[in-house]
Amino acid sequence: MSDLTAPAQSIVAGHLRRTRRRAAVVVLLGIAAIAALQLDFGTGPSSLTTAELLRGLFDPSSLGRSSAVILWEIRLPQALMAALVGAALAVAGAELQTVLANPLASPFTLGMSSAATFGAALAIVLGIGIPGVPRIGIISTNAFVFAFGSALLIQVLGRLRGTDGQTQVLFGIALFFTFNALVAIMQFIATEQALQQLVFWTMGSVTRANMQSVAVLGVVVVLTFPLAMASSWQLTALRLGQDRASSFGVNVRRLKLFALLRISILTGAAVAFVGTIAFIGLVGPHIARLLVGEDHRFFLPASACAGALVLSLASCASKLIIPGIVLPIGLVTSLIGVPFFLALILIRRGRE
Amino acid sequence: MKPSSLIGALIAWLFVAAAAPAAAATITVHDIAGRDVTLEAPVKRILLGEGRQLVALALLHPHPASLLVAWSADMRRQDERLYDLYRAKFPLLDRVPFVSRGSPDTFSVEQALAAAPDVAILSGGYGPSRRSDDVVHKLEAAGIPVVFIDFVEDPLTNTVPSMRILGRLLGQEARAEQFIAFYQSHMDRITTRLAAARPALPNVLMHAHAGHMECCNSPGRVTIGAFIDIAGGHNIAVDVLKQPAGRPSLDETMARGQLSLEYVMARDPDIYVGTGGMHLQALGGLVLGPGVDPAISREDLAKVVSKPGLDGLRAVRTGRVHGIWHLFNNVPFNFLAVEVMAKWFHPELFKDVDPDESLRELNSRFLPVPLVGTFWISLDQKPTERGR
Repeated sequence: MSDLTAPAQSIVAGHLRRTRRRAAVVVLLGIAAIAALQLDFGTGPSSLTTAELLRGLFDPSSLGRSSAVILWEIRLPQALMAALVGAALAVAGAELQTVLANPLASPFTLGMSSAATFGAALAIVLGIGIPGVPRIGIISTNAFVFAFGSALLIQVLGRLRGTDGQTQVLFGIALFFTFNALVAIMQFIATEQALQQLVFWTMGSVTRANMQSVAVLGVVVVLTFPLAMASSWQLTALRLGQDRASSFGVNVRRLKLFALLRISILTGAAVAFVGTIAFIGLVGPHIARLLVGEDHRFFLPASACAGALVLSLASCASKLIIPGIVLPIGLVTSLIGVPFFLALILIRRGRE
Repeated sequence: MKPSSLIGALIAWLFVAAAAPAAAATITVHDIAGRDVTLEAPVKRILLGEGRQLVALALLHPHPASLLVAWSADMRRQDERLYDLYRAKFPLLDRVPFVSRGSPDTFSVEQALAAAPDVAILSGGYGPSRRSDDVVHKLEAAGIPVVFIDFVEDPLTNTVPSMRILGRLLGQEARAEQFIAFYQSHMDRITTRLAAARPALPNVLMHAHAGHMECCNSPGRVTIGAFIDIAGGHNIAVDVLKQPAGRPSLDETMARGQLSLEYVMARDPDIYVGTGGMHLQALGGLVLGPGVDPAISREDLAKVVSKPGLDGLRAVRTGRVHGIWHLFNNVPFNFLAVEVMAKWFHPELFKDVDPDESLRELNSRFLPVPLVGTFWISLDQKPTERGR
């Protein structure tokens, strides 16, 4: 660095300072997300304290039978599920916004969640599932297959008209309305009880989480996230425009294809286990962008942490608002996320 | 038609009209929505807003299907077996058109008007309710009297007046009073004995539509939850739904709710009561009802309470696990649910009460389509805990 001119040195120093600041923000967000996860874990209608639960985690014999069930079947899977779903949907949303060059893109607005809901509705209302899948898993499997399928469909349809994001966004919006109409038809023909189950499903809820579903989603997140990070500089380049990215030697088609695959798997797996949670895939990335900017080395992990943070807090709130009653987490997510998001926007504007 | 046969038909009609037991007269009924409705009775052409109220009509009239000109498909959708039993007994039913699929929003006023009923008997639940101002207004504007009955929203208050109203509409007052006396004697046996003995109230978890969603969808003091208090139990859902005693309403924002499993475990209820019916067969829940084999219901019930969390409850450990037919929430003979639950909650106090015998009496004295099947079920008490 010593052979650089003085102005160049100050630019490099400024860059390093920004990088360190962004890394620090990501670390802080991560700590906040973990704190929220622990808060969520410690919240519930029974009198168990966080300390007792934590002791039970490492020494299962210290808890009685019903406390052990509360720990392993209720608190832990639900808290982990909320954080994982938040992270998965926010990362999916972040990648989707970049790939489609559209800040309004999210798994929800592009119809993937609607497709998943339709898949779930087929299982709940008509009992239609993939042959060979056991009864207990047909709702999740259908939801995953439809979410994944719709993402592939957007990809294929988009291909027919070149690779610009706008066409794919339009196809996504068309899918959104199509599947919503199909879901409405399912609701119309459903019996009262099936309808109730379907409505509850569409509101999103972590109460049906168990350690198996947490493990599956955990594996999906752990496998896809490093792949996304490996593409982070290419994704950052893509933010400058397709032509610029190509001129850096990025294979844009390939990049988009793999990003969409990751997005479909993440969305499909998250939605399959908890139902639709609309807001997080849109606002998680925006919170991250406001805090760390467009550099995907920071933007992607910050999105994951922001999503996990908001959904963990929402999960806490869903248990606290009416103690003893389960509020679907999807009802609370926006209420928790929006003030957070608005505050960030206003602070930013104020500073500029 | 030839003139001679027309005249023959006219003469025949005159004879029938003259022989009719009760000549049509103008009556005024005070319905359970608090409205005074004036109409010609006995009515000959009835529209039922809820198809299941056919069961109530059948308690009072030997040929209820002959009076029906339009009804709703909720009975067919919710319990096809019950529906088939009534069809077999009353083949005329197949000719009665449906005016809704069994929900308030699919109720077609136009089809209802086309059926030209003398009276529209509405009852909330799966049909238009007294909140359905639009439907009521249109029917009345077309000159069709609307009468509200209710067995679901506030069954303890409304069952007897509803039967009395039906008795007047059908011209079957005496029959209605017989049923009411029968009903009241069974209810009184429970309430007077509880009032005298004042036993401690066991905590009760009522799990509505057991096995169909995660634990536990629970009613407060409405619908089938209304029977817990009067049978001498304390419904643990009432505490979190913040429901005061008194006259509850389905309008309340928290008439029922999804209890969290953790809350249920923390309350550790003494008694578990799951509700079920044929409508849960396709959804994998507790199946009960006409023509159901008790072994199947018992198996379903055991499966429901073997889920993690429920399996450790005191009720399950001590074997106080029961299932009850959900349709008791909307039929006039709901006293059976009260009897059964009172016996579950206070087995010693109600040792002599025999709900099976009450059901037999109901079947032989009142129901043209006898209820035969499994309407309540219990898991075996755990031998070690028996007699606690």
